[in-house]
Amino acid sequence: MIPACKKSFLTVTPKGTALESAYYRNQAEAFTGLVAVYDVVGYQGSNDVTKLNTMDAGSDDQITGGGGPSDVNELQLFSTNRHDENQGPSGTLWSSSYQGVFRANVLLSKLPGVPMDASLKARYADESVALRAYFYFDLVRLFKNIPLILKPLAANEIDNVTQVAPSAVYTQIENDLQSVITNKNIPNTINVTTDGGRLTMGAVHALLGKIYLYDKKYTQAAAEFAQVNGTPGQLNATYGYQLLPSFASLWNVHNKFNSESILEIAHSSKSGGNWGCIACSEGNILDIMTAPRNYVAIKPSAPDYVSGWSFFDFTPEFFNFIHYDPRNAATVANLDSLVKAGVASYSGSPTAYQNTGFYLNKFMGHKADLSTGGGNFELNFAQDVYEIRLADTYLMEAEALIMGGGDLARAAALMTAVHTRAYNDGVTHPLPATMAALKNERRAELAGEGHRWFDLVRWGDAPTVLAFKGFKANHNEILPIPANDLNATKLKQSKEWGGTL
Amino acid sequence: MKFCLRKSVPWFQVMKITFSQILISIMLSGLAYSNPLKAQDMLDKKVNMSLTNGTLLDAVTYLQKNNGIKFIYSKSIIDISQKISVDFENQPLKVVLDQLFKNNGIDYEVLKDRIILGKLPDANISTDDMIRTQGKITVAGQSAISIPVSGKIVDEKGLPVPGVAIVEKGTNNGVTTGVDGTFKLNVNGPNSVLVIAFIGYTKQEIVVGSQSTFNITLREDLQNLNEVIVVGYGTQRKSVTTGAISGVTARDFEDQPVTRLEQALQGRASGLTVTTNNGQPGSASQVRVRGITTFNNNDPLYVIDGVVVDSGGIGFLNESDIESIEVLKDAVSASIYGTRAAAGVILVTTKKGKAGRTQINYSGYYGISGPARKLDLLNATQYATLINEATVAGGGSLIYANPAALGTGTDWQSLIFNNSAKEQSHDLSVSGGTDKSTYYTSFGYLDQEGIVATPISHYTRVNFRVNETFKPAKWINFGENIGYSYEKNIGLGNTNSVFGGPLSSAINLDPITPAVQTDPTLASGSPYSTNPVLRNPQGFPYGISTVVGQEITNPLAYIQTHLGNYNWAHNVVGNAFVELNPLKGLALRSTVGSKVAFYGNESFTPIYYLNSSTSNLVNTNYNRGMNRIFNWNLENTASYTRSFGKHNLNVLLGQGAYVDNDIISVGTTNYGLPVNNFNDASLNFPLPAVQRIGYGGENQEHHVSSLFARLNYDYNETYILQAVVRRDGSSRFGANNKYGNFPSFSLGWVPTKEAFWPTNNVVDFLKFRGGYGVTGNDNINDNAFLSTIGGGRNYSFGTGDTFLTGNSPNAPSNPNLKWEQTAQTNVGFDAVLFHDFNLTLEWYKKKTTGILQQVNIPGYVGAVGLPYANVGDMENTGQELQLGYHKKIGDFKIGFDGNVSHLKNLVTRLSPGQAFLGGATFQSISGNITQSVPGQPYGSYYGYQTLGIFQTQADVDNYVSSKTGQKIQPNAKPGDFKFADLNGDGIITGSDRTYLGSSFPKWTYGLTFNAAYKNFDVVVFGQGQGGNKIFQGLRRLDINSANYQTAALGRWTGPGTSNTYPRLTTSDLNNNFTNNSNFYLQDGTFFRIRTIQLGYTFDKNILSKIGLQRVRIYVTGQNLVTFTKYTGYDPDLAGSVDQGIYPQARTFILGLSAGF
Repeated sequence: MIPACKKSFLTVTPKGTALESAYYRNQAEAFTGLVAVYDVVGYQGSNDVTKLNTMDAGSDDQITGGGGPSDVNELQLFSTNRHDENQGPSGTLWSSSYQGVFRANVLLSKLPGVPMDASLKARYADESVALRAYFYFDLVRLFKNIPLILKPLAANEIDNVTQVAPSAVYTQIENDLQSVITNKNIPNTINVTTDGGRLTMGAVHALLGKIYLYDKKYTQAAAEFAQVNGTPGQLNATYGYQLLPSFASLWNVHNKFNSESILEIAHSSKSGGNWGCIACSEGNILDIMTAPRNYVAIKPSAPDYVSGWSFFDFTPEFFNFIHYDPRNAATVANLDSLVKAGVASYSGSPTAYQNTGFYLNKFMGHKADLSTGGGNFELNFAQDVYEIRLADTYLMEAEALIMGGGDLARAAALMTAVHTRAYNDGVTHPLPATMAALKNERRAELAGEGHRWFDLVRWGDAPTVLAFKGFKANHNEILPIPANDLNATKLKQSKEWGGTL
Repeated sequence: MKFCLRKSVPWFQVMKITFSQILISIMLSGLAYSNPLKAQDMLDKKVNMSLTNGTLLDAVTYLQKNNGIKFIYSKSIIDISQKISVDFENQPLKVVLDQLFKNNGIDYEVLKDRIILGKLPDANISTDDMIRTQGKITVAGQSAISIPVSGKIVDEKGLPVPGVAIVEKGTNNGVTTGVDGTFKLNVNGPNSVLVIAFIGYTKQEIVVGSQSTFNITLREDLQNLNEVIVVGYGTQRKSVTTGAISGVTARDFEDQPVTRLEQALQGRASGLTVTTNNGQPGSASQVRVRGITTFNNNDPLYVIDGVVVDSGGIGFLNESDIESIEVLKDAVSASIYGTRAAAGVILVTTKKGKAGRTQINYSGYYGISGPARKLDLLNATQYATLINEATVAGGGSLIYANPAALGTGTDWQSLIFNNSAKEQSHDLSVSGGTDKSTYYTSFGYLDQEGIVATPISHYTRVNFRVNETFKPAKWINFGENIGYSYEKNIGLGNTNSVFGGPLSSAINLDPITPAVQTDPTLASGSPYSTNPVLRNPQGFPYGISTVVGQEITNPLAYIQTHLGNYNWAHNVVGNAFVELNPLKGLALRSTVGSKVAFYGNESFTPIYYLNSSTSNLVNTNYNRGMNRIFNWNLENTASYTRSFGKHNLNVLLGQGAYVDNDIISVGTTNYGLPVNNFNDASLNFPLPAVQRIGYGGENQEHHVSSLFARLNYDYNETYILQAVVRRDGSSRFGANNKYGNFPSFSLGWVPTKEAFWPTNNVVDFLKFRGGYGVTGNDNINDNAFLSTIGGGRNYSFGTGDTFLTGNSPNAPSNPNLKWEQTAQTNVGFDAVLFHDFNLTLEWYKKKTTGILQQVNIPGYVGAVGLPYANVGDMENTGQELQLGYHKKIGDFKIGFDGNVSHLKNLVTRLSPGQAFLGGATFQSISGNITQSVPGQPYGSYYGYQTLGIFQTQADVDNYVSSKTGQKIQPNAKPGDFKFADLNGDGIITGSDRTYLGSSFPKWTYGLTFNAAYKNFDVVVFGQGQGGNKIFQGLRRLDINSANYQTAALGRWTGPGTSNTYPRLTTSDLNNNFTNNSNFYLQDGTFFRIRTIQLGYTFDKNILSKIGLQRVRIYVTGQNLVTFTKYTGYDPDLAGSVDQGIYPQARTFILGLSAGF
């Protein structure tokens, strides 16, 4: 009669929502925790911002594009170096990486108490540590002065966090990855049918090599890359790596986890992603962003691009650079030539914003690849993205060798292997082991894959090459700490952004 | 039954329950109950008797002799020698006996064919309520009834009024008038006073004196002081109310095309800000009571017939069933609903049957609606000219070689607007009852076509209601109030959204694209030939723009893709109660209330191609979703009313248990149906399991448990005190703070009742009142005090194009979450001046502390969501004025009611270190366009201050920072906005933004003017607001080729051309359009004449010949004129951004109401 008198009346047990205090009870629940860590790799923000597309927008090779001067404004601002601590991509990139750090830290703190197979537990732990290093690497190279948090923060610790020296971050993540390598809990190869996308020991070496390269520890970098690269142009039997014969086949949507892939950001067309939560979709938004606006195939011979948003066109300068390179066709879609031929139409010049007509062919969505699952098709493209691929590690090893005074013959062999593969005509196309040649080769090989901005900053070329986009030395090399994290915390802004650090 | 009040008055006048009316009905029904039912026939016997200067014995003897009535009595117990004079003509025996005996301290009882006389244990059988009204009542009947009086009661038109109660003051001696308005009554003597009371009329007191016949004219009660208003868990006489309560009664909106409760309140109740979400038929409006109280849900709590219903679903109520609406605005009146009362409480009372003859009422109308305003958009020539100009300025080349050749082009608005949308409403109610039971049952039907894209904008509602009460014995009554509704809503979907929908498309589409592509060459080419485009009935494809794309599509084609889709809802909301009255003044009441609702949607997506980016090319799909709500609550109250001399006391104790948010939902989407339109679609098609995607879920129940108490005390209605305390427990808080206490206290003083108050003609009534109290809010997410694991953090492993489930903790938990508290001080006075003016003035200050809010924790914590904490404070200060004037001069009646409310809202605290609270965003404008900071109103616009437009390059060059000596906008060109460098750092950055005003009106007001002359009446009702701004964001910023409003014709084109509208360019490097600035903000002030109505009421004399009581016909114009400077469709909009709100219709209505 009077339920209000029962004490339990006011205690409603959540249904279908687990409480943290009662979770991580077994291997299956621990695995969902591991998946959640991987989820942040290749994070796509609700504002359409990703690490890759931010870097494309910032590159000298590409414009931001889109529908207008403030379409995905974070990228527009970054592209023209008008971003600051209040606006721009900082917030998304900062918080997403820390989400990864948090999830890794949570799993690492829970794993010891999970009753499960010990070797699996050790593997989950090492994957978490290695992924945490990956997130911290992005943070330290993008923001430089960051807090180094290695366990979940208690409520009363939140406001007491301070930043550490970048060297401390590098030391931590280098040591972490070294110990992961020593532990050998992560396999050298995996069954890509079921586990493609998970870390292998080859990926750990590649990541560590890349971190050393950015940390200017060229000898160690070259050593790690050598593990990954093996003999230039040959199959690496330990990890199964080998350059694909055809450059173009790298961009075949169905060619997932191929022998050139080292660390791949996996996507699926079947997660039913919708506008309610872009970050929750497993689909790749790059495909719709790069596809041309109002694209209409007029003749059957027209490529079956979807109609998209016209982001990240290549500049005419880049087109001139790559025009006669064998990678041109796979890299650039020349929409205006299609229009001229009467094959297709799209919102091109002069009405379209910043349109150059040179589209990022590597990632443009195709109608054949439209999702047959639920959700908004724009958000459900299955194309994966290479975070690290073998051509990249070949060139990074060559760079480490050149910069560190290493084996220049090997450097040349590595570069030549990449360049020769581009032609794939049975003829060797040699490159000299010089930084100039290396820079050109990276630019041509990795165009539109989100590396160029980092390369220019690492080489110190950004202030000159990116000057036309407003890039200023000792200012734009790093991103500002987002304002949200300066409020009511002990964090300080970097001196590059007017702060004291 | 003879002793029931008759109701052969116009039904609208019955709406108001006057206190004395209740009193008399209680008193008279009390008399009726003193006799066993079986004796009824005998007591109905008609008697004629006339005695002058006789005794009771004479009367008894007379009745025994002439009417065969046998009496049994003991002379030692009763005094039968009392002197009397009586004159009864054809009166029921009961009346005769009551007057003979009961008024003389003698009880009687019918036993078979005899009447037993005995001593009345307490001659005063009236209730405490009666004592309160009459004030001076004492045990009556010690002296003999001596004078017979008679008379006739007529209304101001001279027509007899049946059912009027005439009581001898200070006694329970009373009768009611017959059908012809006449009455007969025996009173004590010349000093007796007749009290004549009737619903809707001023109570009159007439000294008998030497008169024996009385012709009394009732005067309409225009001031309503004796009106009883509904308060939490009971009713209260307006004269002793100390809280701030705005009321609207059926009389205020009857016969007006009000289709929802919110519309009945808009402009008619002070202290409320009612704004329209959109003009789609059936849409809810936003109601804010005394401003914004929290950063969370500000919807008031709705209580229907005493039962708390969730605020979400008030649309099921038929406005014709509403008898009154009371808005409890201050803590004093609302704190009895402590838990969720912080945003105000709206009490709705539905109509009840009244004892008397059966009333049948019909009211209905038919109307035609159309848009009140069309936007002025560029025609094809103007469009081409401006696009050319913008393109060239952006570095491109001419697009349209010859704009003039394009003519005017397509007027998209005219294609989607319907100037003759139909609207009809029919309501039929039957009510009546006896003194043992009453009933009210009604049937309602409403059908409204939308004025925009009518094929996909249509609302239908069917209502059914049964309200019943039963009183089988003096000590018990019970009953139920149950309403059922069915709603079918065909809606546009996207309104006030830039992402498509017919309105946004009509605004943004270029006028060059034809509505229908009739050119056979073009119609047979791409994209029409190669895609599943939509075609008109003649087979021509609907035109597809080649320049404006994305979600902006041909609205005619869009309509075709949505045909048939609808939402539906069945609602049953009701309660059942039982009340026991075991002791005098004590009422024990138990109420169980419930809302059961089923609702869902049916929608089909065909294969279609609207443009290259808005299409569905792969699979059709059919979605069916179904939901069920089952909310219930139980309340038990005990109230005790007692008077000691002039001390009047009422104590209420109560307990309640509430369960809401009990919602379950299931749905399925089937993909790949082999049909392509809604009518053929069915879930029955056999499809592979992978193409049938089901989903479902359930909400977490919200439980509240409460104890509450209230004390009302007044001394002679002069000194008034009220104290309330409520204690609530909520499932939304952890063990640390599960319960909240909500007290309130108020005082009132009525100086006009004081002995020292001089008799005067200026101030007839004056009451000062003030109070302070606290209300609460627990309207936050469930489990916010717990650390939960969230899903959706998935990842794809392997090559199977699948994904795996990932889970991780959400936000850090806060086990110390506690109630939001809103403390409110309210002072005010009520006055009646010069007999005809009613004035109420209020001042209040409302402070919410510990607003439950998600706190912006640093990103480095790595949480997905943000934790809740009690961090914010906010203040509302306001004044309200209500003024009424009602006067009747001969056949001419005039009335005026106005209310004005002023409100100032300020955020006073955010969580430590939180610079601001983000608000609305707009398309590609960077950052929030509204945000909240301490010292500003909640949700203030935040943007750049423009300082006009650079007219020349010299202007650009001369705009130099005093700090840096450099040009502040070095890259600006003539025609660009000059932005204020507010922080003085020499460059324009996000830090130069400032607060530019609020979307929340400072002033709201409403004015009603009534006049009637003989059979004609007129009502004019207007409503308005001021002091707010609206972000006018009708144009898609990310589509350079989107159409413009004609204001763009006044753009800057050269020095001196414009200082407000910048140049047009496709590369807006100065961010003229993508910086939020005062350019977008427009004054939201408006005054709208909402209703003008002309009515004619037929003469009763004529009607009665054809069996009708009342017939009124009327014509109404709705939303006829709006005075505003706002350039969008409609300044009456909820929220801060206008992205193409569905405008309210202008409607012309012909209506009829009739009573049988």
